[in-house]
Amino acid sequence: MDLRLTKTQNMFKRAAADFLKAEAPSHTITEWFGSKAAFLPDLYRKAAALGWLGMVIPERYGGASTSFTDCAVVFEELGHGPLPGPLFSSGVLGALLVLEGASEEQKKTLLPAVCSGKSIVIAAVADGGVDWGPESVETRLTRTTDHLVLDGTKRFVYDAEAATAFICAARTESGEIALVLVNRESPGVSIMPKAGFMVSVAEVRFDKVRVPVSSLLGGAGAGWQILDRALEKALPILCAYQVGACQEIFDFTAEYTRTRVVFGQPIGRFQRVQDHCVEISIHLDAARWVTYETLWKLDSGVPATAGVHEAKAVASEAYYQVCNFSHMVHAGPGTDYGHPLMAHSVMAHTLYQYLGTPLQHKRRMMDALYPRAGSRE
Amino acid sequence: MDFNLQADSREISVFRKEVQEWLQENMRGAEELRWSATWSTRENEEEYGFRRKLARKLGGRGWLFPMFPVEYGGGGLAIDHQLVLESELDRYGISLAAVFYTLARIVAPVILKWGTEEQKRNFLPPMLRGEVSVWQVLTEPQGGSDIATCRTKAIRDGDHYVVNGQKVMVGYHHPPDFLWTLVCTDPSGPRHENLGWLYIPGNSDGITIQPMRLMMGIKNAVFFDNVRVPAFNLVGGENNGWSVANTHLELEHGGEGRVGADPLVERVVEYCRETRVAATPLLEDTSVRDMIADMMIELHVVHLFARRNFWHRYVREPHPYGGAQFRYYQRMVRLRNGERLQQIMGYHALVPDLTVNEVVDFEYVVRSGPGMLHGGGTLDTDRLVFARRVGLGRPTKEKAPETI
Repeated sequence: MDLRLTKTQNMFKRAAADFLKAEAPSHTITEWFGSKAAFLPDLYRKAAALGWLGMVIPERYGGASTSFTDCAVVFEELGHGPLPGPLFSSGVLGALLVLEGASEEQKKTLLPAVCSGKSIVIAAVADGGVDWGPESVETRLTRTTDHLVLDGTKRFVYDAEAATAFICAARTESGEIALVLVNRESPGVSIMPKAGFMVSVAEVRFDKVRVPVSSLLGGAGAGWQILDRALEKALPILCAYQVGACQEIFDFTAEYTRTRVVFGQPIGRFQRVQDHCVEISIHLDAARWVTYETLWKLDSGVPATAGVHEAKAVASEAYYQVCNFSHMVHAGPGTDYGHPLMAHSVMAHTLYQYLGTPLQHKRRMMDALYPRAGSRE
Repeated sequence: MDFNLQADSREISVFRKEVQEWLQENMRGAEELRWSATWSTRENEEEYGFRRKLARKLGGRGWLFPMFPVEYGGGGLAIDHQLVLESELDRYGISLAAVFYTLARIVAPVILKWGTEEQKRNFLPPMLRGEVSVWQVLTEPQGGSDIATCRTKAIRDGDHYVVNGQKVMVGYHHPPDFLWTLVCTDPSGPRHENLGWLYIPGNSDGITIQPMRLMMGIKNAVFFDNVRVPAFNLVGGENNGWSVANTHLELEHGGEGRVGADPLVERVVEYCRETRVAATPLLEDTSVRDMIADMMIELHVVHLFARRNFWHRYVREPHPYGGAQFRYYQRMVRLRNGERLQQIMGYHALVPDLTVNEVVDFEYVVRSGPGMLHGGGTLDTDRLVFARRVGLGRPTKEKAPETI
């Protein structure tokens, strides 16, 4: 047992923290969130130049062949922002989907472009907004003699506006799930930003979009397995991002209890306020240790499926609850969109939904550990 | 990071094999025993005897306190050895800290830190060899969590202190060999500067022990009536009791850490597999599965916090607030789990089952939920400690004491 970061990981951590300080200080991030600018191409290019896209992808495809924990350490730092942009959605999940599902040919052309930031590949999975799982895939995939046709609407796609291409989950005529790579510019693809208490979510329509047969990732029917494999590796890195966000909130909330004076004393002297901070720390550390234990499992080849679902449940719940308790401490000022807590609050609600809610992942954790007898998943 | 408890170097894997074989040999005869939790709820004499004997055997090899210096009866070993011993004992359902009925696991490190060389040579070896049991004796009837308002007086008289007063809710169902207690050495002195710590032989004249039957098992009231204790037994020096208390309380309040996991969920799952409602196993019921999931996740987090604290303790970088956080969270989880068990299994959650270890006995879990919320100080004191360590509303952060 050794619960410390390695020297290299501490180096990654410092580099990411320095980047945030220089390129995306808190007030700047607050402005971006205020203007709903979730994708900043310049910033994305700079992050790509530092090698943060496709870190876990093998070097022969343009990645850095790092461990999952190495990559998570960087994303934890970025979560402090919270730094917006498709660094995770394309740089981790998109890249892993290609790695897990694509042919050698596709990998060779696509992965270096994703790792360099030239291509931004975004997964479009559930059609509706409620369910997360194989049943949620409704978009139709039909086959004509020489090409495929996609038809359907993905109503909530995170980071869709930044995409240069989508990996769209669709149902074949025989009811199987297939993953199809679709260029954003293909006729019939349209993207409509969604307004709401969330960030960087858009509706993506595939209106009888024709794609070549070679756009299929893996075989028809292999879609959900590929997604599961990619998600198993990607989700803990998203969790680390949420851990970093929780840490940032814990730190600035504790600082606020020192400086904010009412009724003649700093509010941190009030036991009710202290209680809120205790709850913040518990959620933060629960997310931290469940996440890093899962990352360790992934890195050392220990079966991790249940742990990954647990981590997503715990980390998304934590981010959400940490924001809520911080709102209790900050009261009025924390509800101003000019306050850093608001950027986090909006991000926390978005990530609570993104790639499945805590309840959905807890149920998947249980199904992984104790499959139901009459398994009717 | 490496969470593996079994990633042994060659040297350590040899040691693990040695421990495994030793345990196989020395746990013989325990097959029929069902362990109590750390408290004396079950009062099973056979089990008590076995545990005391096991402690002596482990202690004789330096394995009861593996990382303590050899000259005091410890093992002089490293954290990896400690991990091996903890994880191998865990397979039998007990932990090193709770092998037998004593709080030596807390007392010994405090003596190591605050005792004089002579005190260490006198007090530690019998304790580390597992020969003596020690009670911590802190709570007073009027004081509760506020132990600094100590009314048990110890007044110097020549080479002795004369102790008078009363402590409550302490100990187990067998009398101790030693009492480890906070006393007021200077009744007119300022708060926190008027205290001392005494290590008192349990057979001293003037000590009366009276059992108290409580929600969570047997505890006792201890009366001191002109008990003469050698001044040699004052640990930490004149009027320095509060400093000693800080080390002690950090260990008692979650900072000691642990590597074993709570096996409750496995037994709940087993129960839900076997129990049918309307011909369907409970484990197929979605709401039952949701409750088990929450129970499992929260116990896992308790386990991870305990491991983190263990790690910080033994690499001698005390976690700033980990002890208080762990203790508060663990107790709230136990309370919630009590209700979950009742929701899942109805009346069955209220019936003791002596065929299993106490820590997985549903009735014990339910009862100890509210019953053990406050042992060693209320949840509110934990949160106060947390606030001081994080520096909430304060310009400075109180430091966590080093505990080994």
